[in-house]
Amino acid sequence: MNNAAQDVRRDLWRPLQGVSWRYLAVILPLSLVTLWGLIAWGYQLHHGIGVAGIRRPVFWGFYLVDFVFWIGISHAGTLISAILRLTDAEWRKPVTRAAEAITVFALMIGGMFPIVHLGRAWIFYWLVPYPNSRLLWPNFRSPLVWDLTAISTYLIGSTIFLFLPLIPDVAQLAKHTTGWRRWLYRRLALGWTGSDREWHALERAMKLMAGIILAVAVSVHTVVAWDFSMAVAPMWHSTIFGPYFVAGAIFSGIAALIIAMAVIRKTMRLEQYLTPHHFNNLAKLLLLMSLLWTYFTVAENLTAWYGNEPKEMAVFGARARGVYAPYFWTMVVCNFFVPFVLLGIKKLRSIKTALIASVTVLIGMWLERYIIIIPTLSRPRLTAAWGSYAPSWVEISITVATFTTMVVLYLSFAKLFPIISIWEFKPHDRVSES
Amino acid sequence: MYLKAEFREKETAARAILGLKANGFGPDALDVFSNEPVEFADGVLDRPSRMSLVVVASALTFCMLAILFVRYTQYDYPLVTGGMPLFSFWSTGVVFYELTMLGAILSASAWFLWESGLVRRRGSAPVPAVEPGVICLRVRCEEEQTQLASRQLEQAGATRVTKL
Repeated sequence: MNNAAQDVRRDLWRPLQGVSWRYLAVILPLSLVTLWGLIAWGYQLHHGIGVAGIRRPVFWGFYLVDFVFWIGISHAGTLISAILRLTDAEWRKPVTRAAEAITVFALMIGGMFPIVHLGRAWIFYWLVPYPNSRLLWPNFRSPLVWDLTAISTYLIGSTIFLFLPLIPDVAQLAKHTTGWRRWLYRRLALGWTGSDREWHALERAMKLMAGIILAVAVSVHTVVAWDFSMAVAPMWHSTIFGPYFVAGAIFSGIAALIIAMAVIRKTMRLEQYLTPHHFNNLAKLLLLMSLLWTYFTVAENLTAWYGNEPKEMAVFGARARGVYAPYFWTMVVCNFFVPFVLLGIKKLRSIKTALIASVTVLIGMWLERYIIIIPTLSRPRLTAAWGSYAPSWVEISITVATFTTMVVLYLSFAKLFPIISIWEFKPHDRVSES
Repeated sequence: MYLKAEFREKETAARAILGLKANGFGPDALDVFSNEPVEFADGVLDRPSRMSLVVVASALTFCMLAILFVRYTQYDYPLVTGGMPLFSFWSTGVVFYELTMLGAILSASAWFLWESGLVRRRGSAPVPAVEPGVICLRVRCEEEQTQLASRQLEQAGATRVTKL
């Protein structure tokens, strides 16, 4: 047996064995918070959407902020993985599965928010192209129907994109495990034998899927941006919203990926596989996206300020120097100054600073979604209709629970499946090269 | 009957395949098994595929079906509109686009399952056990071809040749 291949397998299978107290100490409290979030949602279902803080004129509150934020995070995996796969970036190999798993879980969480926001969640199927009780088909012009088709397509595509390269690894696991794990892996392996026909088909499918998923990922966040820009509302009706949202999504996605990788590296002792080289490359990508995001933010706000249109200036003023100014400037510091200093200066760039910058970017990007949604809704064109928004405990509980749910789902996945794709290491190539 | 040959390097495996092909063994009689994909140079063991074609055709089919579906719903409202559609056809572009992509995704995964042979009924061909880092070549041959194939495999650099 090839020693290099054996070592890779042993190292990457190690995290799947057993459940430590440390793991349980993380999972159990987080699961309780998730449970609390479910209780809060149950409370809302029972008492109605009135228990949330949304009221005239702010009808989109935390739920829509969370929706846009999590859909943005979902761009971590599939988009980054697809770009790196298509460009044959060698360093991507230990990164792709960690990224693809983020996409699937973030999409599941993000896609849930329009249903939470509906209030009467049990009639969510009215969004599906199916005539309602009055025999009317849904309005295909509605961005909500666009969201449904876009997110469903992206979720199906991302799940397949995660599953296909998992097949060879679960086939190997099926041969070396017992009990329920063996049962599960055997079913997921679909009878994979490792023949060249299977490998050819897999690689061809992954190349095609990477191209398709790239187009879908861009469209999904563009459609989310159009939820806003199709409304003739101040600071929303903007042509750059599509690319602005896509850039922001990739930005927050890379930040989420760096955090996930840093946690996995430490807790699963994968320092050999997730090296400073990977973090350095991702940190440079994060810096690039930070600069792109800054460019879009300046372009968006500068044109509104220079145009001096009263309705736009009301929103701009509320953001830049009014009641929302602390959030706005915190967002600028988190999304631009921190990454620029920590990652732009080569001497400061390390795994630790990349992690710090990523955490601030996630905070900044959540605030960015808040800054986009709330000020515009609270400052409608009619001055007499101005209002304010304060989230209720239900919204805060559900929002916090989404973060804990993400961690619980991710750690559970990492306990069930190798978080780094074993077969992509290709020891044959290493032997030939040496 | 089947022979199984083990190789440590892909170059020796490629040499064996080319040698067998030169001696009349077709690509259908040869299968390579490994725990990682082994990329041979063009012409060694090519497996032609129609996956791209199928994906494009399916995407176009889904697009057409989506257009027909939306078109149908435009006229299927129980409202008197004088034969006019209720909304602009072009504003439904997002729905067409996403369903086109869905067609591409579903057909790519379905064709992968078909082309890889995972969902097709398997023959009685034995599947060799493969250890990490080893490349296994399975050769289907007649009884009288066994010696020729074994010699070819050993000459190419197989570390072990056995009957399956």
